[in-house]
Amino acid sequence: MDRRRTPGLSSLSSRGLQSHHYTTHGAALRTRNAQSLETQLSVFQSLLHNFALTHSKDIRANPAFRAEFARMCSALNIDFLASSYHRDGRAADGKGGESIWAQLLGGSVNDFYFNLGVLVVEECRSTRAENGGLISVSDLKARISKGRGIGGGMDVSDDDIKRAVESLSPLGSCFSIMKIGHRSLIRSVPKELNTDQSTVLEAIQVLGYVTVSMLQLNLNWERPRAHAVVEDLMADSLVWVDTQAGENEYWSPAFITATAT
Amino acid sequence: MATTAPLPSNFNQTSALAPTQTGFRFPPHYSFPPFFTLQPVASTRSSQLSSWSSLIQSYCRYNRIFSLSIIDTLNTPLFYNASLNRRLNLRDAKAILSYMSTSEGDNRAEFIGRGKQKAGEEDGGKVWIYWRRPEEWAAALEEWVERTGQKGTVLTLYEIVEGDASRKEEFWSMDMDLLQKSLAVCVKRGKAQIFGSEGSEGVKFF
Repeated sequence: MDRRRTPGLSSLSSRGLQSHHYTTHGAALRTRNAQSLETQLSVFQSLLHNFALTHSKDIRANPAFRAEFARMCSALNIDFLASSYHRDGRAADGKGGESIWAQLLGGSVNDFYFNLGVLVVEECRSTRAENGGLISVSDLKARISKGRGIGGGMDVSDDDIKRAVESLSPLGSCFSIMKIGHRSLIRSVPKELNTDQSTVLEAIQVLGYVTVSMLQLNLNWERPRAHAVVEDLMADSLVWVDTQAGENEYWSPAFITATAT
Repeated sequence: MATTAPLPSNFNQTSALAPTQTGFRFPPHYSFPPFFTLQPVASTRSSQLSSWSSLIQSYCRYNRIFSLSIIDTLNTPLFYNASLNRRLNLRDAKAILSYMSTSEGDNRAEFIGRGKQKAGEEDGGKVWIYWRRPEEWAAALEEWVERTGQKGTVLTLYEIVEGDASRKEEFWSMDMDLLQKSLAVCVKRGKAQIFGSEGSEGVKFF
């Protein structure tokens, strides 16, 4: 910018005036920017609103679509399982108490995950004696899609199950998703696995089963250590023993379905 | 895994390709090798026993098996998964059937001809598999008689289990002894009367 430097006192006042102009102009720009962003966001939200309304059936019916939709929402920092209080505006204008998606869709998307959460809890509980409270997400998915009652089957994706399990988090630390190897498992017992146990489960997931001598060879464990770990896992129903193969083989029931298909 | 992984899928294939041979779709547990070893841990074991019980029941229902001889069954697909080369041994098979015969196992089995002997003492005897218990069979028979309007007519036992009229019913080709047992329940309930001599009995429902 062309700037004329005036000598003397007058330069002081004009410089002050200038910087004042700059700041007001800057502020004006900022507010205009913010305003336009705000209108954009509200336009976008209302569009999303319409979108959710027109496609609510698809959202409920199509797992892939639902996953994409949920992904988009979380990218926009909209958590549709959370209560309304994450957005002050809604709590303030008295519509509070429900999540934004519960309002938009009459609770159906929201309820979907809560219902799924209940199914997850049911399945985890009914299989606990068999697998010690550790079930693979794919196994769970197969069980849920099969359903128990007439018309009870439900087509869900891994993503749905993950969200449903997350929605159970207010109930305490009982339900969580853990990763062993590249497979996700749902843990429904409050027990934490120690490193040795997770290592063994990971090995089972890769190899299908383990034996004490395999553990000794591959992990350089002493025999008593390997023995103690599998005994521990067995006591918790986390592995099953197969005595018909010469040396005892230990298999994880969390992968029963996985081995069958 | 390299040796075991292909086997279950092979198994699925053959069962899908040759439905007449076995036809029965085994549950996923059947391809899980430790399933054929009774688990030493109590909680795991009880879940395993109930899985076995439901497998045995659905297998028998599918193949219309009303009683098993334990020893002869050890080599059939039910207790022997050839593709995994895993089998139930005699002791474990007996343990499972004993479990099924208790109230804990829902009384889904009964050892035949066992008098005062206790579980485990018998030498691989025959066992009723109650995928329906006699009282459930009794109800099914009563329902069938009612539905087909045969109340008051005299039916021979032979025509109940071998006749054309009951060909579509679950009790078709049922074991005669089991039929007698079930009819006895009907008699007890006052819903039927058996007459005639041994071997040529008739039954009348009312």
